[in-house]
Amino acid sequence: MRIGVIKAYFKKELLDIYRSKLILMVYIMPSMLLILFGYGIKTEVTHTRTLIIDNDQSKASYDLVSTFEHSKYFNSEVKNLSENRALDLIKQDKKDLIIIIPEEFEKHLLKGLKTSVGVYIDGSFPSRAKTTENYVNGIIYDTIMKRSVSKAESKALITINARNLFNQSLRDEDMIVPGVISLVLLIAPAVLSALLIVKEKENGTIFNFYSSSVKKSEFLAAKLLPVLLLHGINIFILFLWAIYLFELPFRGSFLLYTFSSLIYIIISLSVGLLVSIITSSQIVAYVLTLIITIIPGFLYSGMLMPISSMEEESVIVAHIYPVMYYTHILYDVFLVGDGLSASKNVLYLIILVGYAAILLTVGSLLLKKRIA
Amino acid sequence: MNRLQVRKVSVTYRKKTGLKPVSLEATGGEIVGLIGADGAGKSSLMHAIAGAKSFDGEIKFDNHIYSSPKEAEKVKGSIGLMPQGLGLILYEQLSVNEHLDFFADIRGIRQDSAFKTYRERLLHMAGLSDFTERQAGKLSGGMMQKLALICTLLHRPKLLLLDEPTTGVDPLSRMELWDILNDIIAKEKTLCIVSTAYMAEATKMDRVFLFEDGEIIDKGKAGELIEKVRPFSYEAAPEPFEKSITIHGYTYSLKPLKLKPKEPTLDAVFFINFIKKYGPIPEISIVHKDRDEDVPATIMEAKGLTKRFGEFVANDHIDMELNRGEILGLLGANGAGKTTFIKMLLGLLPIDDGELFLLGERIKSSDDRQILKAKIGYVSQHFALYKGMSVRENLRYFANMHHIESERISGLIREYANTLGFYRYLDVLPTDLPMGINQRFSVAAAIMHEPVVLFLDEPTSGVDVVARAVFWEMLQRLKDEWNIAILITTHYMSEAEFCDRVVLLRDGKKITDDTVKNLYQIHPDAHNFEDIFLDYYNSN
Repeated sequence: MRIGVIKAYFKKELLDIYRSKLILMVYIMPSMLLILFGYGIKTEVTHTRTLIIDNDQSKASYDLVSTFEHSKYFNSEVKNLSENRALDLIKQDKKDLIIIIPEEFEKHLLKGLKTSVGVYIDGSFPSRAKTTENYVNGIIYDTIMKRSVSKAESKALITINARNLFNQSLRDEDMIVPGVISLVLLIAPAVLSALLIVKEKENGTIFNFYSSSVKKSEFLAAKLLPVLLLHGINIFILFLWAIYLFELPFRGSFLLYTFSSLIYIIISLSVGLLVSIITSSQIVAYVLTLIITIIPGFLYSGMLMPISSMEEESVIVAHIYPVMYYTHILYDVFLVGDGLSASKNVLYLIILVGYAAILLTVGSLLLKKRIA
Repeated sequence: MNRLQVRKVSVTYRKKTGLKPVSLEATGGEIVGLIGADGAGKSSLMHAIAGAKSFDGEIKFDNHIYSSPKEAEKVKGSIGLMPQGLGLILYEQLSVNEHLDFFADIRGIRQDSAFKTYRERLLHMAGLSDFTERQAGKLSGGMMQKLALICTLLHRPKLLLLDEPTTGVDPLSRMELWDILNDIIAKEKTLCIVSTAYMAEATKMDRVFLFEDGEIIDKGKAGELIEKVRPFSYEAAPEPFEKSITIHGYTYSLKPLKLKPKEPTLDAVFFINFIKKYGPIPEISIVHKDRDEDVPATIMEAKGLTKRFGEFVANDHIDMELNRGEILGLLGANGAGKTTFIKMLLGLLPIDDGELFLLGERIKSSDDRQILKAKIGYVSQHFALYKGMSVRENLRYFANMHHIESERISGLIREYANTLGFYRYLDVLPTDLPMGINQRFSVAAAIMHEPVVLFLDEPTSGVDVVARAVFWEMLQRLKDEWNIAILITTHYMSEAEFCDRVVLLRDGKKITDDTVKNLYQIHPDAHNFEDIFLDYYNSN
């Protein structure tokens, strides 16, 4: 590799990115996505207007009612209404949730008999209803478990997973922001590296590479290094947004954050390189890169749904994409802070390095120095 | 000595053949010309020699033998390739100086004082010394091409491959390009291979190879080639002879005829080759149509038509008139504003300033055009055909678009296909057809609804000599039979001869507007149209 050649290309790329205003896309798109998603995705449901009808009036039912009353997720009101009257309130959009505690609720619990609590949820927004249902289930099982004499019995009863988000210490932002960072750092470098190569193909300037003695390695280095450099800066910009705008904690090592992010960018720009090999127009390269990166990035980052609560097939798919590994490390450096002392983090980091090496090698091998 | 030997080199693109096996030899200090239409195999050969495309066969240059792009790596340092397309290898955003730096760096040139002198000399020759800080995207077409040439010359290649360097370049820049080339070759003893679609440039080359359909059909000095076909060229015969072609004032025949001989041009080589291979050109006629006599004599009138793209004025107050029964040629180099003008006429681009009258009606809004659409036919640059549909399906689609009654369509398609001579290609996809056939059926698609005016945007670029001649014959007949008005743009200056009147555009301005006859009278020294236009370019 000749440094002079790489330097010449490198300088040209930077000038081109700057003068063609592509630089705006490099620095505005990632931050914009982070802010849009960071504020935009709220899976949390708070202040559900709740009506509780307590037909038991026992110690156990009081406990249950007070848990609801003390939760920020519910604005509870206890009233003695008939079931039909109560349901009318949902129809009139005055209440979102009605909980009916049956007579002899406590007695049945103590005897270990089956009992059923009536829960009516306004289902007009299915996802909100589903979330509310999970919250309610969580609270009810929680209360039963506390009261239960025998642990075995209560465990048999607790079959439904309470939703992860129903955890007082976890805010939505804490889950969403690292997920969006992993999404953004998958999309943006891939798009840029694909465009930088395909642009030359589309305009015909690729002939300068084909017909001169510039080596493939030199060409690749010259195309990919600017992407790594420019998006390397985004690692820090996104970090600042996360800490200062979204007030995320940062409990892990900054070095681990930077290193894993750089590796991840290499994975991303290799994806762009692969796209640039099979496309010859910028618009196709752009759309294809977006499709390839956004869907797995969004679905399998664990941002919307934790990998642990996915179906079996989805878990396998999630493990195929590199997104999951990086997101895991991000959660660790932001929220947990185990760093490399946790063997899982070490393993995931190695997997990321492996991904980067494989994708980059495959891309370089497939790139041909001649007209297709 | 730089010696290039090409041995049985052929090139294929997926399934298609780009170049059938060809062999040639050349040595340093020579200008070798490859002449032929687009798709004739010129570019394929250049890419193969430059090691930019895989090929079969063997190439030897500078004592290195190679048969793949990989093996060609070792000679790439001494080869310079300028691919086809105006300023194709330039980066819009980089300035002239930055280009020279970039090319010097990727070629690994030591930037010593000798190099700096050479660089200055190149800049001077290209007339770019005063524009070193200007970005390539803001240079004119001719300047871009000159910059591309000096970037290619920067590493002093021993073998220079120039793929259509003069196509679409204005006549003056074209002359300058040749001057740079001659100068370099004289001093550096470079072997130069140049391809061109302009027959007239053959005289500037030491030897030429004539390409058609991926084959070399003849080779030698231009004079010798013309000598060879001299016995077959005659003044146009009034009546067609058996096995002969009568076109553009010539009659070509292999058998001796009792006609006055006429001094042939290189075009004759292609016609003679055509007769040898396929016999005479099939007769072309035009579907009969009753003349529309209630059409005004002035079909189109533009007064001060102006189009701006930001700062850039693409059309600057252009006045033009188009009359019934007239072929008007709109000529100019790439970027002179020809396509912009036609697009304004058609309403594809809004008019920024000026007035436009079509068929006597003032056009103000798109509603005014709706009624006129049925009377206008348009063939766009590169033909707007649907690649996934056969010729018949394409024609049916265009017929439907023009609201031709469905029961008439099948008959019409058959009629046009018969008269314009593409009947046997009706069920073939356009991508599998030669450009000449596509060109004819694009015209059929544009005239099926019997318009009174036909706009043609560069219909002849990339079409071979014979098909181009046939095409002009067809337009001539169309004009005679239908009394239609035709506005045609082209960058082949030689085609001006076939127009009734010519408008020359330069940098968005009209420079001249006159009949062909008058132009020859005003410029008595001119041998051909190239000379006339050069006069106009030089006078400014």
